[in-house]
Amino acid sequence: MVNGRKCLVIIPAFNEEGSIEQVVENVRNHLPQSDIVVINDGSKDRTSEKARACGARVLDLPFNLGIGGAMQTGYKYAHMKGYDVAIQVDGDGQHDPKEIKKLLKALEEQSLDMVIGSRFIERSEYRVSKARRIGIVILSRVISVIVRYEVTDPTSGFRAVNRRVIKLFSSDYPQDYPEPEAIVFLHRHGLNIGEVPVDMSARSTGESSITWSRSMYYMVKVLLAIFVDCFKKGHVLQE
Amino acid sequence: MLIKIQIITGAISILLLYFTFEMIRKEKIREEYSILWLFTGVATLVFCLFPDFFLAKFLIKITGIYYLSAVVVIVFFFLLLIVLHFSVVISQLTDKNKEIAQRFAILELEFKEWKEKNMFQ
Repeated sequence: MVNGRKCLVIIPAFNEEGSIEQVVENVRNHLPQSDIVVINDGSKDRTSEKARACGARVLDLPFNLGIGGAMQTGYKYAHMKGYDVAIQVDGDGQHDPKEIKKLLKALEEQSLDMVIGSRFIERSEYRVSKARRIGIVILSRVISVIVRYEVTDPTSGFRAVNRRVIKLFSSDYPQDYPEPEAIVFLHRHGLNIGEVPVDMSARSTGESSITWSRSMYYMVKVLLAIFVDCFKKGHVLQE
Repeated sequence: MLIKIQIITGAISILLLYFTFEMIRKEKIREEYSILWLFTGVATLVFCLFPDFFLAKFLIKITGIYYLSAVVVIVFFFLLLIVLHFSVVISQLTDKNKEIAQRFAILELEFKEWKEKNMFQ
């Protein structure tokens, strides 16, 4: 419970045995009132055991679904258990759990439906490769045009959402590289999205799912998905 | 020349029909997916058996395509339909698969928690 609301921190993890314990511990230290669920996306290593040993609840997917399917599992769980707020934190340790409170504060005070932790609002120490930087800038321009306000960091997976979005995501969540598409998806449903500046560290272990060879595919896939999304029919959520 | 093409397409269509029937019989392919394959086989067979009726008098007049080209175009069209159909089927299967995996993970956690709770009571 945080300010009387049931909070769930969702940590998707695929082969993150090197960092998962630290991420779970950090989240618990900074947000002791919240529940933590780790989505083990068919890891081949001991991610699941390590997370469970730290006292997190673990949802073990029987095989790898990819980040979209894994995140949605968390949202389904949150919806089923009636949580008021869900927070996405990556299992690789690049999101600093001490920033979660900023997300929660913005979610409540600005009555937003989703808050994104952005690396690029303020000058942070976070450095990305040139390829990713260019990709992020193009995506952020395209998405800003579509949703008609500025989104500086559309690929950030550091997010907090409210009950309405939990319900929506539990029934429908984009697949391969879901973060940018999810923004357009929520916009189409008339929900409010905001950003707060956060600090992120470079990945402590493992590799990002976005490498040079995949960035082209990433761009094409995400832009196509966003383009298709624009032509889908928007409908109003029923509460 | 025409008779050679007739023999080749006839043999192909009979083989195709035979294998499709065999696969249905051995339940290696579901009927719903075999329908397009059967259509392809039958269409090819019809063109092989009645080249004059279908082509000389009909298709060549409309399209100007000669016999083999016509057969290839028609078979290709059916193959296109089949492949497209497969993409749809695979997409649906992937979605259903995802749904099952997610429900399975949630149920497993619920079950473990329930078991632990009941063991220590």
